[in-house]
Amino acid sequence: MILNGIITGLIMGGILSLPVLGVAVIYGITGIPNFAIGVIGVFGGFLTWYFLSFNMGIAILVGVVFCFAIGYIIQRILLTPISERGGDSTLFFIVTVSLGFVFEGLMRAIFPRPSISLALPRIGTINIAGVTVEGFKIFALLFALGTLVIIRLLEEHTEIGKSWQATSQNLKLAKLIGIKTNRVFSIASGIGCALACVGAIFWGSLYNLNLMTGWDLGFLGFIIAVVGGIGNIWGGIISALIMGMVMSFSGYLLGGMWQSVILYFIVILVLIVAPKGILGSERSL
Amino acid sequence: MSEPILEVSGLTACYGMISALKGIGFYVNDNEIVGIVGPNGAGKTTLLESIAGSMHIKEGQINFLGHQIERWPVLKRRQLGLMLVPQEGNIFPLMSVKKNLEVSVILSNRAKKEELIDRVYKLFPVLWEKRRQIANTLSGGQQKMLAVGIGIASNAKVMLIDEPSIGLAPKLVTKLFETLKKIKEDTRTTIVLSEQNIKVLNIADRLFGLEAGEIRFDEKTENLSRDVVKDLYLGSIS
Repeated sequence: MILNGIITGLIMGGILSLPVLGVAVIYGITGIPNFAIGVIGVFGGFLTWYFLSFNMGIAILVGVVFCFAIGYIIQRILLTPISERGGDSTLFFIVTVSLGFVFEGLMRAIFPRPSISLALPRIGTINIAGVTVEGFKIFALLFALGTLVIIRLLEEHTEIGKSWQATSQNLKLAKLIGIKTNRVFSIASGIGCALACVGAIFWGSLYNLNLMTGWDLGFLGFIIAVVGGIGNIWGGIISALIMGMVMSFSGYLLGGMWQSVILYFIVILVLIVAPKGILGSERSL
Repeated sequence: MSEPILEVSGLTACYGMISALKGIGFYVNDNEIVGIVGPNGAGKTTLLESIAGSMHIKEGQINFLGHQIERWPVLKRRQLGLMLVPQEGNIFPLMSVKKNLEVSVILSNRAKKEELIDRVYKLFPVLWEKRRQIANTLSGGQQKMLAVGIGIASNAKVMLIDEPSIGLAPKLVTKLFETLKKIKEDTRTTIVLSEQNIKVLNIADRLFGLEAGEIRFDEKTENLSRDVVKDLYLGSIS
């Protein structure tokens, strides 16, 4: 049972780490907390569901590309201009939560069903030390970790990655040396929303998606990111895996209704001990 | 005498109600080192930031290489060949020295990139030695060299440097100024620096005296008496 709990926790944490990565990328680069990314991601999940009967690959692509575009556009026409006029966290909270409600309303209006499940093909089962795990869940976990590695490699070894880092560390100087910082912001926001969409697709395939899932994923993603040290990608992943374990074990030992009590109690406890999160916030990737 | 490559006229800039520059006229010739001198609050930084585009101006014209650039964004001015090395926040603190320079050559083509980074390492050998070190772990003097290195790596036609000598030991100031002179001679870069250090007399071709947002003098260095400059416009003496 312990092993089962660990595996379930790791997978849950792995999937949650995608919206956490989304939050970390957006906040790390733009400095803006975007509370709408979960809802936008789930909107993309609904789009994928809608097109799933045509072709799975295209359906996933439609959802992810749509979310990237939405992230890019809201940053470009809304969040960057507010930021340039000196918007503070409270303003961004209100603006991005409002955006979330806009997308929730759109989902309600556009899609025929308020709750869906994405039937993605299963890829068999894997036996780990006597515990049978669905291959698809392992794939979800590996995908999340792979995404993290890719982001790290991009920022270390490509010019685009270096300009992201430069922008997050010193915006004024980044502008002065000729980086198109507004474009960097828009792309970061697009990637963040696209990651949230991939998270939502996995979530919708393993559990289900409804109008509220976006808020759950978004806020949980945010809280986990803060616990790990907001903007710090490694901290975010470690925190996601730990929180996944906490959810899994509290579910096993005490039952599902205690999950959120234990989880958020631990969150508060961690933040009292380490207000900047487990690995500390560096507002950088 | 050739046409100035950078010319500012009637420049007015304000911080809220307080005017920092009151209709300044200012010019720079090709391959010249111009020192902007004056006490704290004279408007030196404001003038440099107005030229680079990181400060909004109220009135006035800025002409650079035949273009009216006063309404251009920072990036466009940068592409035309202007670069400002700010007084503070002039490095990327959490990146290695090497990466700081690699990101600063972003606007140059591949072959030029290596040449520019090599040039910085030749001018500041200590940066080569510490190339793998994270920038904010360098000493103050080394950080300043990196900041100027970033300016050089940007391959600007006109490099604006805001108070490079601040916080440096006297010996390092002399060395840094000699390096600036070498940059000018080797690469034909035009350098405009704001300064409060009297040693600026040793490298500047021309000094531009600024006080309370107004011009006090604009003279070739050889025509200026050291004591006059020192007494009136330079705070620190080293």
